[in-house]
Amino acid sequence: MFGPGIVGLQQTTNYRVVLPFYIYASVSFLAGTLLLFLRTDIANDHYFYPPTLAITHIMALGWGTMIILGASHQLLPVLIEGKLYSNRLAIMTFGFTCLGIPLLVFGFYIFRTGWIMQLGALLVNLGVLLYVSNVFLSAFKSEKRNVHAWFIITASLWLLATTTFGLLLVINFDHTIFPKESLAYLSVHAHLGLVGWFLLLVIGVGSRLIPMFLISKYTNEKALWTIYGLVNAGLIVFILARMVNRSLEFLAIIPILTGIVVFGHHCFKAYAVRIRKAVDEQMKASLLSIIHMLLPFVVLIMSLWVLPSGGQPNLVLLYGFSILFGWITAIILGMTFKTLPFIVWNKVYHKKAYTGKAPLPKDLFSEKMYHYMLMAYILGFGVFVIGIILLNQWLLKIGAAALLMTAILYVLNTTKILIHKPRKI
Amino acid sequence: MLINEKTKIAALLKYHPDALETIVSIAPDFKKLRNPILRKLMAGRTSIAMASKIGGVRPEDFFKALKPLGFEYDDTGGPVEEIFEESFMPDYLKNLDEDRLVSFDVRELIARGDDPLRSIQDKVKSLSPGQVLLIINSFEPVPLIKLLERQGFKAYVKQVDGDTYETYFYKEGESGSRISENDAAISTSGDWEEMLTQFENRIEEIDVRHLEAPMPMITILEALDSLPEGKALYVHHKRIPVFLLGELNERRFGYRIKEVSENMVYLLIFKE
Repeated sequence: MFGPGIVGLQQTTNYRVVLPFYIYASVSFLAGTLLLFLRTDIANDHYFYPPTLAITHIMALGWGTMIILGASHQLLPVLIEGKLYSNRLAIMTFGFTCLGIPLLVFGFYIFRTGWIMQLGALLVNLGVLLYVSNVFLSAFKSEKRNVHAWFIITASLWLLATTTFGLLLVINFDHTIFPKESLAYLSVHAHLGLVGWFLLLVIGVGSRLIPMFLISKYTNEKALWTIYGLVNAGLIVFILARMVNRSLEFLAIIPILTGIVVFGHHCFKAYAVRIRKAVDEQMKASLLSIIHMLLPFVVLIMSLWVLPSGGQPNLVLLYGFSILFGWITAIILGMTFKTLPFIVWNKVYHKKAYTGKAPLPKDLFSEKMYHYMLMAYILGFGVFVIGIILLNQWLLKIGAAALLMTAILYVLNTTKILIHKPRKI
Repeated sequence: MLINEKTKIAALLKYHPDALETIVSIAPDFKKLRNPILRKLMAGRTSIAMASKIGGVRPEDFFKALKPLGFEYDDTGGPVEEIFEESFMPDYLKNLDEDRLVSFDVRELIARGDDPLRSIQDKVKSLSPGQVLLIINSFEPVPLIKLLERQGFKAYVKQVDGDTYETYFYKEGESGSRISENDAAISTSGDWEEMLTQFENRIEEIDVRHLEAPMPMITILEALDSLPEGKALYVHHKRIPVFLLGELNERRFGYRIKEVSENMVYLLIFKE
């Protein structure tokens, strides 16, 4: 999602490294929404349910993580004003995760806890380990590491923690590693990923790209470091609370929520002093996703205070859905059409721009199709949320169908970008 | 005031109002300094050592003449680097093809009261590898030679007559045969030179290479907001600013790009 912005040609990572991640992510999005459409019955079941686990991992790994991996390979060099340490490591990261994710997801879906699931988890871990090495080797070779780079560095470590813990949980199905069954640790595993990886990364990179795309001078390094501290502290408090005393969990919500509010304020400030007065559709989707970030908290606070018994499995589902299909999907939908055209443009029109007549990155995809995609998305997300709350199969089907439509339009439009043939100038 | 070979003429002029006439009295060549344009042009870039070279005198003549005005010679400055060796025409230039020579006569510009430095720098930037720049001037352009030497150029000065100096700037090791392969690396549209000539003397220049994103974009857009009618903006950039191009289209600006290397891109932006 977070391509290079206006920055970064000279240290650009080769598009051959980045594009496979984008393609893989779009296929995963299609697979995830298709599976959701076929298995809307998951809303009636406990969240620890094979198809739910499968869909969650398609969305979290195949969709969210893969596109972030691709984009961060492109963006990191810009943030550290250096070069990506190794293109080969990046390609190997793709190779391992690309094989590991389907194995893991298939393992969850049929719920055989044996070697398929374990091999899948192992391959994902290898891929992530190589990614983290690449991030560290790139970042510590360069002199420059600004706050945004630290967000990525830290997020990559949390990602590794998430997948390592996930692998152990998978093994724990068959061989006892932990004192309790894997279900008991699911929440920690999930939040390592959602807060440590996704939230930190989105804030770190978004705080750089959003002002850039709005053409806004606004920066506030101190505020960003504050957010960095709050989110990390919140996550650590959460893990400790889980280990020691679950009733202290709410202590974690306060710093994380504060961090997000400060980030929202940061984006609003950038928005207020922007030079580009007309905000394009893609930016609207991204700004929407910032507001989206608060949605899971509404659900979370509901589940903590309104329903202290915690016996409502569909509330957990609502929580997960509003993060994976809500916040993360919204930001990717917006940012893909900011960054992917840019990457392809560089490949196709770089040399043709000299004459001042090259088409623009935004001419590489259909604005109209993008618009319909966003409509379908907002409709699908909203209807599905109501469907979960009311447990109405019809609403769930309609919502899921609209989300599937979103994915189809997304794939069509990204394909249009990818197969773009240079126009004669 | 303490002075030595490295002291700039401008510092002398600033320190004492009579310094100008005193310097003019040292050598007839320095009459040029009475012209306010030339003075502005030369004085800040020329040290006593360089001026001695131009005027054909020794630095000591300066110190002696300036002493009554309160200038003291400061000999603690250490040895002064050799300024410029008069030399025979290098072989490199002897074998030069006519078509590799880019001549630029700056005498008219100076007579009109314009500072030719920027135009010269533009010429330098537009040089292809293997090309040689010939500056025709009414004096030996010592400050320019120092400046371009720092950019890796060698210089050769030929005094054609009392008032005409030809200075050749070239980079050794760049032969004509490499032009074609380097042309592929240094790429631009076919009409870059044309556009540049079209806007000659109507160019505002900014350098955004040191800025962190998104400041280059903002700086350029702000510069364009205040760009006078009919002028063009010449931008030094680290890369082709893809997202800027869209903003330019929207604001009805045209542009040309010249990509010199991976970290060096020039843009010429103008109202369409």
